[in-house]
Amino acid sequence: MKSVELSCKVNGRPVSLPVEPDTMLVDFLRGHLGLTGTKTGCREGECGTCTVLLDGMPVNSCILPALKAAGREITTIEGLARPDGSLDDIQEAFMDAGAIQCGYCSPGMMLTAKSLLEKNPNPSEDEIKHALSGVLCRCTGYRKIVQAVRDASCRK
Amino acid sequence: MSQNSEEKRQVKTLERERLDLGRLVKVGEAGLRIVGDSVRRTDDVLKATGKLKYAADYPQEGFLHGKILRSPYPHALIRSIDVSKARELPGVVCALTGGDVPGRNGFGAILPDQPVICQDKVRYIGDGVALVAAESERIAQKALELIRVEYEELPAVFDPRDALAEGAPKIHETGNQISLDKLRKGDVEAGFAQADVILERTYQVPFLEHAYMEPDCCWAIPQPDGTMMVEGPMQAPFAVRRNVAPVLGVPINMVRARQIHMGGGFGGKEDSPIDLCCRAAVLAKHTGRPVRISLEREEVTLQTCKRHPMIMELKVGVTKDGKLTAFKSTVYDEQGAYASLGPKIPPAGGSHVHAMVMSPGPYEIENCWVDAYLCYTNHPYGGAMRGFGAPQVHIAHEQMMDELAAELGMDPVDIRRKNAFKLGSKTATSQVLDQSVGLRETLDACEERFGWSQRSDSAGWVDAAKTKRRGVGVAMGWYRTSIGTGGDACGANVHVHEDGSVILYSGITEMGQGAFTVLPQICAEALGVELEDVRLVKPDTDLVPESGPTVGSRSTTLMGNAIILACRQVRESLDQKAAEMLGVEPERLVFCGRKVFDRDNPDGKALEFRQVAAAAMASGMRLIGQGWWAPPKASLDPETGQGSPYFVYTYSTHMAEVEVDVQTGEVTVTDYVAAFDVGKAINPKALEGQIEGGVAMGLGYALMEKVVLENGMPQNMSLQNYLIPTMLDMPDLKPLVLEQTNQHGPYGAKGIGEMPNIPATPAVINAVANACGGRVRSLPANPEAVFWAIRELGGPPQD
Amino acid sequence: MAQPFNKLHWSRFVEYDQYLVPDSLDQALAMLAEFNGSARVIAGGTDVVPELRGRRAKVAALVDISRLPDMDGIEQEGGFIRLGPLATHARVAASQLIRDKAAPLAEGCSWVGSPQIRNVATVGGNLVSGQPAADASVPLFALDAEVTIAGPQGERRTPLSDFFLDVGKTAIDPSREIMTGISFPALGENQGGCYQRLAQRKALVLPMLACATLVKVDPQNKTFAGVALSLGPVAPTPMRERVAEQMLLGQPIGKEIIAKAAESASSQCSPRDSLLRGSCDYRQAMVRVFVERGLTRSLALAGHALS
Repeated sequence: MKSVELSCKVNGRPVSLPVEPDTMLVDFLRGHLGLTGTKTGCREGECGTCTVLLDGMPVNSCILPALKAAGREITTIEGLARPDGSLDDIQEAFMDAGAIQCGYCSPGMMLTAKSLLEKNPNPSEDEIKHALSGVLCRCTGYRKIVQAVRDASCRK
Repeated sequence: MSQNSEEKRQVKTLERERLDLGRLVKVGEAGLRIVGDSVRRTDDVLKATGKLKYAADYPQEGFLHGKILRSPYPHALIRSIDVSKARELPGVVCALTGGDVPGRNGFGAILPDQPVICQDKVRYIGDGVALVAAESERIAQKALELIRVEYEELPAVFDPRDALAEGAPKIHETGNQISLDKLRKGDVEAGFAQADVILERTYQVPFLEHAYMEPDCCWAIPQPDGTMMVEGPMQAPFAVRRNVAPVLGVPINMVRARQIHMGGGFGGKEDSPIDLCCRAAVLAKHTGRPVRISLEREEVTLQTCKRHPMIMELKVGVTKDGKLTAFKSTVYDEQGAYASLGPKIPPAGGSHVHAMVMSPGPYEIENCWVDAYLCYTNHPYGGAMRGFGAPQVHIAHEQMMDELAAELGMDPVDIRRKNAFKLGSKTATSQVLDQSVGLRETLDACEERFGWSQRSDSAGWVDAAKTKRRGVGVAMGWYRTSIGTGGDACGANVHVHEDGSVILYSGITEMGQGAFTVLPQICAEALGVELEDVRLVKPDTDLVPESGPTVGSRSTTLMGNAIILACRQVRESLDQKAAEMLGVEPERLVFCGRKVFDRDNPDGKALEFRQVAAAAMASGMRLIGQGWWAPPKASLDPETGQGSPYFVYTYSTHMAEVEVDVQTGEVTVTDYVAAFDVGKAINPKALEGQIEGGVAMGLGYALMEKVVLENGMPQNMSLQNYLIPTMLDMPDLKPLVLEQTNQHGPYGAKGIGEMPNIPATPAVINAVANACGGRVRSLPANPEAVFWAIRELGGPPQD
Repeated sequence: MAQPFNKLHWSRFVEYDQYLVPDSLDQALAMLAEFNGSARVIAGGTDVVPELRGRRAKVAALVDISRLPDMDGIEQEGGFIRLGPLATHARVAASQLIRDKAAPLAEGCSWVGSPQIRNVATVGGNLVSGQPAADASVPLFALDAEVTIAGPQGERRTPLSDFFLDVGKTAIDPSREIMTGISFPALGENQGGCYQRLAQRKALVLPMLACATLVKVDPQNKTFAGVALSLGPVAPTPMRERVAEQMLLGQPIGKEIIAKAAESASSQCSPRDSLLRGSCDYRQAMVRVFVERGLTRSLALAGHALS
């Protein structure tokens, strides 16, 4: 199979690498770039664990061909902290609320929350629940996650 | 979530039966600093930044990829198997069949009845008949396609009652019945004679999938000295080691098992890593190279253990004022193809015995009779899943309590209060509950917070168009701390260094429940240092003392005690040295917040903890502690099921409000309160997290979860069709934490991990029945099941 | 019976040989022509890509049309809504125009998959996938949508009544053709419509039953001047309940006639017994409930609530 050059921006940095055309975005991030913070849980877009932001929008990276990201900007959990290295309000709020248990869904949850708060800095509880409904969590029962997002919105 | 987001956790400290916690815990005058505090989790930052490595995140260079050829039949003889074509494929390093297993061709958490590679027959769809290791995953997959197996299909059995019938196809040589366990207390017929009302009901529950978000992935790495190292997300490294060694035909000390951080376990990863590590180790042994096996989501559903399905036939008698007089139950507990964690480990280990013991519920009943069958079928196998046999039987007895209450015209809360355990109660196994029994208190707290009486009065139609009805439900529960086996114990090592820093060695694993935070909290408290002074060495059978598995809601209590004992050994040196340095009696010393001072003169001279440690070390004193703690001896008579199988229990009451669309059967859970007697919350926020996650899991069990099987084949292997609750399915949930000291627990703690999901399922089902009249006795209560339950009544109540 | 190999052995790999990203429609069609049936068009790819995992379906190339220009508009032109097939469900669900003039479609789109899926998956793709339970297809069918299809022989227009052929099969050949437009009449005065769905949880789930309902009221005579009922999955394709629609047309609005139409709709459809999505009997009963509720709600939205 012939490799194709993929150029995009990942966590603010330009990236240009050859990829096999049937590489999914999640494997590009994890395999080619070593950004293993993005997880996979189902490989069919049903659990949201692999969520990354594509031009600020949450998408399932497990079923997104990497080449779809050409010329676009991707944010992964590794890029959520501020440039100075301090953690984002969402990360702090998740830790304070006890919203992280096994941690496997947390990157997807936090990135989805980030996208929500960018668009809607003061979401209602219902808006939070709808926005985050595409990420499954088996540990927390979601309550502390909702609290964390609300708390993060207050920190802004 | 409530309107008032600032609402704090409600902690109510109940009477303490014994303030002095005896030899185990010495609470300083300054009180508890770290225990009882909702500190941030020690692994939070790594998880929040994506830096924590799960199994799939480890580099794979140099690894071979192992794959398993699975049986397409639920029950068949293997006539022949030809792996030659697979071996010829470039990139394939080995293709193995049953004869290639170097040692025992069998593994299992309790009985080694599951072949590493099936040799003569297969017993479920997904059974492994050949193993392949290749240079890439793609080649390994291709190699599987080249293996030719000739099967002779055998008649299969999919119902435990059929499996028990005479002439049923024999799944294992030992027969289909693994055990018939009996519980006999009092005279059940005499009990029925005293009853004014007797009800007989059958309740049924399906196979459930754990649906941990992280699919399984394990590997084996042969070491230069001949040791085999196996790693992966695992709840029970010692059980993995105990299985890998005989499978390889080597002594236990030639296997090293290390836990990689788990993306959820819920009991499932007690069992699946045994399977994967044994298979990876066999491949690694043959190839002399590291071999990794990872499963896709669908394969996790196919191959690994599930929650046991049960059919429970109950007959219960009650007097007209609501006093239970007799409880009789026949339980058909479906083990599936392999024994896994079902069978008994004397006296009271194994999920089946646990289910039997819990069957009559947390109620005083003079006369109890349970016959509990555990049997093989050609389905996937049942293993450990949060609650370990208890959720199933709670679903039966808690529905029965409501059915009895309805028959008597009693309030469901009143009938429970009439019979609930209290201090001094005798259980169905005639165990006297002599301490830490906060069940009634959880009922009171729940009732008050939920507003049970007002809400149950206002149950009924929600809308003018009469499409929706509201209802409320209550359920109670109990759950053991510990596993009831003879060998249930935990060891811990604590090393204090001359700079005051501490290493804690513990074999208890982290799967998201918070053990890696709570255990260091206990250690820091016991030594009087700060949490950040304690570094935990992760479970590694070469480094940490045997601790048993991280199951049975046992970790905080058993390991917590072992840690305190280890700390006490170190403290003996520190006490002696500090006493010298301060010139006071050792009994008067307080170790707190890295300071050591005289209890009677707290404002006087204080030593730094590190000063004392350095001085003790310089004097050649022992700063290494090893703690070993086993609970009071468990007992259970094998004939009568009488005894004290588990040393302490956690208690809980849940109340749920639901709305049911009576035309479609759709259920929305609109409000929820759950109260727990936990002994002592070491980290209240982490504990709440257990409650909230457990309730979600119980709600899924009630309304949507079921592994649908057709002729032995799971029909919903992916998360598209195996439904677990989403954020939008969860109600406003209020956890209430009550603390009734467990005198055998560290700082009074007892287990919490499994309790929360247990009453959740029947609470929701009871609320559904209260709302619409229809009762779903075979779960899940999905819209269709609720619809037919309403139909069966001839429609919803009209009031 | 032996289970097939690929149901028992899974792989993380999505497999195809080439990934082509055309800049223009002509280029896209030329690429497809070159592969002579072995390529597959994707837009969001959320249906096609999972199908290719573990080689459960095989294609030589994916032709990603998501960057074709001017194919994702959402606009009104006269009495018609023109929808670019590349419009994502997220955008359609959020569009004020669609919410005002095609409410059932906005509601349907808001249920597709998850927010993550809706950000990528397109309404055109929802139609081309040809699934009987598709949440955008069912309302578009009720809206009498027509699609424009570009192929080697040029463009053609097909009403959805001729579009759905079988499960996963439509009038468009995704290995040779590309959907270029979707259009349907905008809802106006005295019209109302809604979308209902029955599922086993509250998000991220395929429906057991979906139902789009539209009514047009004759305000003088208080009669049904127009009715559209579409349902899924009660047959291999989304289904219009023509008999029930005819029953109502021209009739005075009333509870009884609605109940009769609902009964008729229920008896006209025969969903299969599904272990995962409910029995035929249950779903037939639900059709009755949904048609009755849908008509009642649509009337209210049209400004003619039943008394």
